[in-house]
Amino acid sequence: MRQRSAKSGSRLLFVVFVSGLWAEGAVAQDRPKDSEWPSYAADLAGTRYRPLDQIKASNFNDVEIAWRIKTDNFGNRPEYKLEGTPLMVNGVLYATAGSRRAVIALDPATGELLWIHGEHEGARGAAAPRQLSGRGLAYWSDGKEERILYVTPGYQLICLDAKTGMRVPSFGNKGALDLKLDDDQEIFPDLTTGEIGIQSAPVVAKDTVIIGAAFREGMTPKSMRNNKGYVRGFDVRTGKRLWIFHTIPKKGEFGYDTWLNGSAEYTGNTGVWTQITVDEQLGLVYLPVESPTNDFYGGHRPGNNLFGETLVCVDLKTGQRKWHFQLVHHPLWDMDISSAPILTDIVADGKPIKAVAQPTKQGFLYVFDRVTGKPVWPFEERKVEVGSVPGEWYSPTQPIPSKPPAYSRNGVLEEDIVDFTPQIHEQAKAIAAKYHWGPVYTPPIESKIDGPLGTLTVGTASGGTNWPGGSYDPETHIAYLYACNACAEPIGLVRAPKEISDMNYIAGTAGEEVKILRGPGENAGADAPMPSKKGPAKSGYVPLNVDGLPLLKPPYGTITAINLDKGEIVWQIAHGETPDVVRNHPALKGLNIPRTGQETYNVGTLVTKTLVIAGEGQITTTSEHPRGAMLRAYDKKTGKEVGAVYMPAPQTGSPMTYMLNGKQYIVVAVSGGAYSGEYIAYTLPSAE
Amino acid sequence: MKSTLSLGVGIYLVAIAAPYSMPGATVTVEQAAASSESRSVWERVYTEEQAKRGETVYRKECASCHGDTLVGGGGAAPLTGGTFLSNWNGLTLGDLFDRIRKTMPQGTPGKLTKQQDADVLAYVLSFNKFPAGKTELSRQTEFLKEIRFEATNPNANK
Repeated sequence: MRQRSAKSGSRLLFVVFVSGLWAEGAVAQDRPKDSEWPSYAADLAGTRYRPLDQIKASNFNDVEIAWRIKTDNFGNRPEYKLEGTPLMVNGVLYATAGSRRAVIALDPATGELLWIHGEHEGARGAAAPRQLSGRGLAYWSDGKEERILYVTPGYQLICLDAKTGMRVPSFGNKGALDLKLDDDQEIFPDLTTGEIGIQSAPVVAKDTVIIGAAFREGMTPKSMRNNKGYVRGFDVRTGKRLWIFHTIPKKGEFGYDTWLNGSAEYTGNTGVWTQITVDEQLGLVYLPVESPTNDFYGGHRPGNNLFGETLVCVDLKTGQRKWHFQLVHHPLWDMDISSAPILTDIVADGKPIKAVAQPTKQGFLYVFDRVTGKPVWPFEERKVEVGSVPGEWYSPTQPIPSKPPAYSRNGVLEEDIVDFTPQIHEQAKAIAAKYHWGPVYTPPIESKIDGPLGTLTVGTASGGTNWPGGSYDPETHIAYLYACNACAEPIGLVRAPKEISDMNYIAGTAGEEVKILRGPGENAGADAPMPSKKGPAKSGYVPLNVDGLPLLKPPYGTITAINLDKGEIVWQIAHGETPDVVRNHPALKGLNIPRTGQETYNVGTLVTKTLVIAGEGQITTTSEHPRGAMLRAYDKKTGKEVGAVYMPAPQTGSPMTYMLNGKQYIVVAVSGGAYSGEYIAYTLPSAE
Repeated sequence: MKSTLSLGVGIYLVAIAAPYSMPGATVTVEQAAASSESRSVWERVYTEEQAKRGETVYRKECASCHGDTLVGGGGAAPLTGGTFLSNWNGLTLGDLFDRIRKTMPQGTPGKLTKQQDADVLAYVLSFNKFPAGKTELSRQTEFLKEIRFEATNPNANK
């Protein structure tokens, strides 16, 4: 394997080793496994489940803050979007934190900082498509040695000694692997600014580290040509590349012919930017693949576009494809498969099946036999609307699962328009009338200044279940899925001026200046200068709210429990306090509106022995609590709320839990608005 | 939950008391707010001229992430709509101004002058349909801390 230095300017930031919390010698093997949180989603099956029950319905309201740590100083500026879920293994808590994406090791009982590691990547870090602290890291041990692995914003895989936070010299190039190299493609334009990175946590299974790829937001790319998001497996001991899976097939590989006119050659993206799931026993890896370039216009990539928006199963040892299922043919709605597939051993119609369940933005839970890839309940290839955007290629059908039923809204229908009062309903209908809308897979349209401005969608870019994913109880075979049920997304397409993009169409609204939209944290100076703005003669923009009220009816955000043996919804609740703007709205005075939940797309759940736990994604101020957000606990059998604990800011990273010295802790990342990132650990008060 | 009130939160309560009916224990807090000099964002706190200047800066420095229609995208926070209003409801324009000063534009925080930041803030207020008036927004945090951000107009329907 060819190996060059990652970046000449890159250097070790600093490592501070505070205390020797670790016992010398072998890693204790007799620790109760279920009391730790050794990987991003608790286990490699994507469950976010621990069978702990010290914190339960009768005492949830009593939990108090054990410790907290602000992440402001883990970087040269504070971060307001802390998305990490820490790990807790062998008596140490590890997390990514701050605008540097530093790695910190903490005492899980007190929050004391044990060590910190960071990488200065200079221009390469500043140009990274996915910056800030990311979602987390991976832990590996062979029983003697312990390692922590994470990917920097500049796309280097770093391997650390878990005891000291120092790089492991025998891994890659002095503890680092330049992921922009040895990728079966030349990352263009160069290693410093070449667009590719990742913000999710690596996964390690049986000594193999698996890494995907992420890119800029894909609504308005400058070009139909982009780097491709292949998936690779590396040896956790040496960093040697073991395999690669081409998410866009190369010439001669299976699926290449689903890209007509040779469009597989130049089309990019199509990475796996979210969490990867592994069945170590079967030796199978489940890859949830995202959309190809660009999110909403596929005229330059005619055909079904494998493996875009496809669940792919590959061999853990070789990366060879075992089976695949494309959830969306010729993707046009930004329905990236956005979260970890969940492994589930079910008994469907009396038959035991090793299954995999995939939550999605479009609110379908797709359930397959995870060995064969056969749907557990049949899918219908349903005829869908064919659009009219010049040059676009449309799939005439899309697969619709017969079971379970959709657990969140994925289309806009007449009955979805808000109707708190007749007047509000009329106003909302007038706004909706400016758009084209319909059921799931109603295609994007060209934006016209006199209407329609675009396709009004829900369950697309920010709908349903996003990156935090679902959670699952392996004892009861019930999945718990948070979803944004009202994240309305207008999708309009506009002709792209040549100086902006070489694509025929990119996302935009008629009458507005056509712009390249960038994600947060991209290097502001690296972009080409924009044409000067004279101001539109007439703007087509219409806000999707009625005097601040969401256009679609509540519930805005939900948690749904789905029995996977039966493929049926057990319960569904609105998650989150009714937003202030609804609760205090003058036009709604005197109306009795049940809790609405909140329009938030990134809430993760945690399942314990008896509870489903999730924080709110928005700030509220009520007579019950000061300005803040609540961490709520529900009885997992019924969905009934059994307790709530105050947080100073919304949950932005999914909660995790562990037991240490006889005490259960719950740690959650909060941030947003005026509140910079903070990890907060909750526990019960010590016994008198 | 009252027992979980931290000192910091208590201070914020002073700023937000007016628009909500708070029972029992918070009466003294309401009185404190009533006697302070603070104003609400609904009381015509910026000028149209200033918002226009801010729009020019916004389009050049902010729109590429937050969008021409302020709806955000990907990880860029929306500057309009429910999430935006809930993020800032109950705080002050000083808090919002500080957040812009400290962290924006993302790649080069501190690049804009205080005046430009204040102008952008005025544009955001104007986009969100808070009413304009005859006095410009100050470019000093201390002055902006006297202006409460309230999602709903406390005087509507009165």
